[in-house]
Amino acid sequence: MFGIFSKVFYWVNDRLPIVNTFERHLSKHPVPSKVNFWYLFGALAAVTLIIQIVTGIWLIMPYSNTEEQAFSSVEYIMRDVDYGWVIRYMHTTGASLFFAVVYLHMFRGLLYGSYQKPKELVWIFGCTIYLAMMAEGFLGYVLPYGQMSYWGAQVIISLFGSIPYIGESLELWVRGDYYISGITVSRFFALHVVALPLILIALVFLHLVALHEVGAGNPEGVDIEEHLDDDGIPLDSVPFFPYKVLNAMVAIGVFGVVFSIIMFFFPEGGGYFIEMANFEKANPLVTPDHIAPVWYYAPFYTMLRAIPDPFGGLIVMASAVAIFFIVPWLDRSKVASIRYKGIYSKIAITLFGVSFLTLGYLGTVGITEVRKTMSVICTVIYFAYFLLMPIYTKYEKTKEVPDRL
Amino acid sequence: MIFPSLKIYLLKTFYFIAIIFCVNLIYSAEGGPCKDYGECDEFKYSLNDIESLQRGASTYINYCYGCHSLQYSRWGRVANDLQIPEEIFFENLVFDKSIKPGDLMTGAMPVDSVNWFGVTPPDLTLVSRYKGDDWIYSYLRAYYEDSSKQYGVNNLVYPGTAMPNVLLSLQGNQRLVCKDIPILAKNGGEKRDQSGNSVTEEKCGFLEVEEGTGKLNKEEFDALIYDLTNFLVYVGEPIKATRERIGWYVVFYFMIFTALASLLYREYHKDYK
Repeated sequence: MFGIFSKVFYWVNDRLPIVNTFERHLSKHPVPSKVNFWYLFGALAAVTLIIQIVTGIWLIMPYSNTEEQAFSSVEYIMRDVDYGWVIRYMHTTGASLFFAVVYLHMFRGLLYGSYQKPKELVWIFGCTIYLAMMAEGFLGYVLPYGQMSYWGAQVIISLFGSIPYIGESLELWVRGDYYISGITVSRFFALHVVALPLILIALVFLHLVALHEVGAGNPEGVDIEEHLDDDGIPLDSVPFFPYKVLNAMVAIGVFGVVFSIIMFFFPEGGGYFIEMANFEKANPLVTPDHIAPVWYYAPFYTMLRAIPDPFGGLIVMASAVAIFFIVPWLDRSKVASIRYKGIYSKIAITLFGVSFLTLGYLGTVGITEVRKTMSVICTVIYFAYFLLMPIYTKYEKTKEVPDRL
Repeated sequence: MIFPSLKIYLLKTFYFIAIIFCVNLIYSAEGGPCKDYGECDEFKYSLNDIESLQRGASTYINYCYGCHSLQYSRWGRVANDLQIPEEIFFENLVFDKSIKPGDLMTGAMPVDSVNWFGVTPPDLTLVSRYKGDDWIYSYLRAYYEDSSKQYGVNNLVYPGTAMPNVLLSLQGNQRLVCKDIPILAKNGGEKRDQSGNSVTEEKCGFLEVEEGTGKLNKEEFDALIYDLTNFLVYVGEPIKATRERIGWYVVFYFMIFTALASLLYREYHKDYK
């Protein structure tokens, strides 16, 4: 019985590198032996991506991408489709938690210098993934065609209109109509379920290939390749499978607890994951009291609002994302990890974190004078963190990095 | 040795101050959704109280369904979820005999209803989700007499509402009144004048029902609105009770999963310690 299986296995393996790939990328792939919890969010991001793809496929089946039926088909999923509510809430909760783990993953990168030579490309692919995710999330948010879908899309698409000369025609081109309509919904649907997921998967593949080429980092910023054993394997490493896989399993368990608490008990996330106004069908004649984005866009939305001129706001918002791409060349420090960087780096990253969270909060509430001033201050801090990085990382006193992990 | 620890201490203090500073500066109370009513009354749903849901459904169909459809909900589903045998449900609550259990509750309003109220009465399937249950519970109890309005009533929660007070005959005539309210002294007690009488000031905007004008007293009416709101919470998300019940099992499953995974993880990592 097993003889046949092994014969088939060897037959396939002679033609497809199964064992080779498994050994190279899993059972013999060396990863740093000591890392902390910050290093688990990458695996969790992969898990959420899979959740989004699988639930997404099942959501496409009953969803209708027409202006008349988009909203009611979502209610149909929630009420009449067996376990449709599970699939839909997994997708909405998954979207928010995808952003949550990716933000933590990115912050890990800033903390421990995961962009420094030779990991620049890993970082750039990561930033591109984030950019694609932002587009993917926005397009997906329009699909249920509730009030916030409609008016959120209105705000974002009109940003294109603020670009000088080509703005108006670009806006029309994106929308496919003179106002947001069924045409907009159906093209956003196509982009959301086919185009961007393909791009995302390709980028994630490249992110991982590049990572496996240069090796994973660690919170000490030690290069484990410098101390090898007789077989050429780093002394401070363990094989990815089963050690890191098991580590990730524990993380997935904890993540599952958090995920299911939100999904089963607070699926709207207090109006931050699914906004209350989005339970009302899109109505082009009635503007909601205040238009707020979902929490994961809130920091950038605040920047947009902080600038009085729409085109200026667009530039600032776009640069806030774009600036991540050049971080590898902004950091001039000799050390990678925040543990060995100087006091200026520590203060800078704290101010950055606080200003990012503050910007996020400000994006979800109405505007007052104080808040407007605060938005401007936080935006300045946000950019100062990046733009002053070449100075404070170069001239601060760093600590000695140990030899071994 | 003292320097590193001092540095860390200063850094921590700095973090703390930065956070407090930001929170204080930007936090400010915003006007609530209940407008002139002030804070909405808190509503706690009880979706396992089937009798309450049944009473709510009956009130809804008798008083609200004439104008407000529940277009995403199906008749049979409501009967089934509320544990009302289909024959009884269809005999007593479904007035149009051509309706089948699988039909959507699309309402009984003709298309030209917009001419009657100035607006088409909205569909209420999801009202508990976009307005919130607190809002509904407060709104339905905040009507008051206002002869300047088309239907002789206005609402504190939704000033200028287009809907007449359909439940007037049950609630009775509610009016806005002014009351003498004792002023509180600095020590928390009532402020008194020299002869020992409490000092009062007149405050307005209190809702008071004219006694004997309604079929129900205040408690009974509040209970009726409670059941109605509870029903609207149910109809906003029929799976809610089930969702919260299943949720415990899933959370429990992931806890066991985490425990087993960490035991296995520890077992494997013994080799490396």
